[in-house]
Amino acid sequence: MCRFITTTVTMVVRTYNEEMEYLEKLDGVSWRIKKGFVPNMKKSIGLPDVHSGYGFAIGNMAAFDMGDPEAVVSPGGVGFDINCGVRVLRTNLSEKDVLPVKEQLAQCMFDHIPVGVGSKGIIPMTAQNLEEALEMGMDWSLREGYIWAEDKEHCEEYGRMLQADPSKVSSRAKKRGLPQLGTLGAGNHYAEIQVVDEIYNNFAAKKMGIEFKGQVCVMIHCGSRGLGHQVATDALVAMEKAMKRDKIDVNDRQLACARISSQEGQDYLKGMASAANYAWVNRSSMTFLARQAFAKMFNSTPDDLDMHMIYDVSHNIAKIEEHMLEGKQRTLLVHRKGSTRAFPPHHPLIPVDYQLTGQPVLIGGTMGTCSYILTGTEQGMADTFGTTCHGAGRALSRAKSRRNLDYTDVLAKLQEQGISIRVASPKLVMEEAPESYKNVTDVVDTCHRAGISQKAIKLRPIAVIKG
Amino acid sequence: MLKGGLQFIMYRRKLLALDFNQPENFNVADESQFRNLILWLEDQKIRHYKIEDRAGLRNLSSSDWPKTCETYLQELGSPYQLTEKQEVVDWILGYAVRLEYGDNVEKYKSASPESTQQSKQTPGASSNPLDSLDFDDADFKAGVASLAMMLQIPPHPDHLEQLKAICLLVKDKLSKEALENAAKKSTKNIESIPLDKTELGFDTGDYIINEAAKILRLLHIKDLRDLQSHINEAIVSVQALIANPKTDSRLGKVGKG
Repeated sequence: MCRFITTTVTMVVRTYNEEMEYLEKLDGVSWRIKKGFVPNMKKSIGLPDVHSGYGFAIGNMAAFDMGDPEAVVSPGGVGFDINCGVRVLRTNLSEKDVLPVKEQLAQCMFDHIPVGVGSKGIIPMTAQNLEEALEMGMDWSLREGYIWAEDKEHCEEYGRMLQADPSKVSSRAKKRGLPQLGTLGAGNHYAEIQVVDEIYNNFAAKKMGIEFKGQVCVMIHCGSRGLGHQVATDALVAMEKAMKRDKIDVNDRQLACARISSQEGQDYLKGMASAANYAWVNRSSMTFLARQAFAKMFNSTPDDLDMHMIYDVSHNIAKIEEHMLEGKQRTLLVHRKGSTRAFPPHHPLIPVDYQLTGQPVLIGGTMGTCSYILTGTEQGMADTFGTTCHGAGRALSRAKSRRNLDYTDVLAKLQEQGISIRVASPKLVMEEAPESYKNVTDVVDTCHRAGISQKAIKLRPIAVIKG
Repeated sequence: MLKGGLQFIMYRRKLLALDFNQPENFNVADESQFRNLILWLEDQKIRHYKIEDRAGLRNLSSSDWPKTCETYLQELGSPYQLTEKQEVVDWILGYAVRLEYGDNVEKYKSASPESTQQSKQTPGASSNPLDSLDFDDADFKAGVASLAMMLQIPPHPDHLEQLKAICLLVKDKLSKEALENAAKKSTKNIESIPLDKTELGFDTGDYIINEAAKILRLLHIKDLRDLQSHINEAIVSVQALIANPKTDSRLGKVGKG
């Protein structure tokens, strides 16, 4: 059983039993941390896939009131891989169409999408192009013709954060980002060919264009690569100085933050928005490449294969949102780190096609495990500021996984399950083995039972492309 | 002498009363407009000459026209000369109004502000036969009612509102494009969701109002969908002009496996 707890680093040392005193069980799936656990915390929520991370836990939502001049923004609350996220494309192919050519298709995807540590993009980019992409996000991809108008419609934030300011991104970050644009990267990122395994909500599935079991989808999970990491690192350095000046005390330097209104806070928000735009362009470029791979393989066009984007969610991002707090509408800066926005039906910020179903929430499993598509709920909006889990959540650290598992076993096991795999650096594969993660089904079921999101579709992988 | 804008005010009421084509734009200083007005008044209102005798006045571009007009004015008993154009126009308009009134004394006696308001609606000549329809005629109302019945549109106390609803339905469901679209779609079965299965998102405390609110929400979603489709179309048409996606596999390494 997973619990809703926040693992924000404490400033006092307590014993296990002392800590348990602060926990109050609300029902089978949720716990409350009593006041005083961390002084002055407004609202922070740990989701069922919570695990420890830099500063803030991963699988966490923390909201600060924009109206409060003391409110802060924290890069640790967003994470290093800014706007890491997942998008799903559907096709009109069935498993039967794909199985005979599964290996070739996996190879074809691998031949089209640059993957792995140190990989470089194959979409020609100049420094000027990068500046524009940072400012325009998916509007840049649209302008250049890499994606479809409907892709923008079906993306969180319409694929562009308007407050982006490329001049707030250091030249070092740009230098790292330029060659990497349009690459999948390594770590937990992947592109998967999946088939619909189960449909829980027929109506929602239809709205997403999912018509039958066995329908083939493509899931792309990646982020802002080195650029996002550099933006976060630069901000942490700048904020450390600002904290001394503004006399902000935290118990851990990983919790570095700055007042939202301060120069450092504003600079970070603008730089973060630019990195978020970079991540959307990155996923869009890979969408373009995946569509090309499918078109080539099936001797057709992406249009005829109906390769529409169902949705695109962000996992690591801070956004200004309107929420009800103690019966009043408040403007909050919502940090989501390893958690997904899950807005309910009729919310004005979700696409018109999902007004009746609620926002699609894409939950990527781990290599070789199932993935899910959930929908946002009213209850989630009220309980967790429209936030739900983002994936399985790590159970073993990367180092521990490397020690305990052997990569040949991991690959053999995937083979056994009938999953084709193409991987650029096989020796890192055990870090991402299913054994290193919590069971995604448990995580999703817990969110479903807690009512913060509802299950709509279950997807099963048949081919994985990894860094 | 009155100049500029005041002239319009000066003649507007009389021109309006005579149903002149463009009462707002008449400019007495424009010789051709002046000549046309004199001819129009004789043709439509004054009818001092027999039709065949109006040839001289009709010859608007002739250099003899001023002479003919001078004679004409004298015969009408104008106290002004052709050189005093403004006065002439004012007088002849008044003369025409007098004649017009004389022809229909009974009608104008019973005139009230309300009744003139209605008839003033379309001062210009309209070629649309629908404009001359009497929308309050009992036959018309009955026609609207029976149309509504045929199309299964719920009744509305205002038959004009009802007519609007009929127009919308015909446009949406029965126009040529709509029928073509429907024919295409009928091959795929259309998904429908019962109203009571849709979430309203709030509760008004009243079943009927909740249902109505749901319907409004659905209509709003339909409008939004249309708007979004127009936005997408606009993006696609711009893409057709500027988009040029390129890849160059020499730039990076793919397919290492």
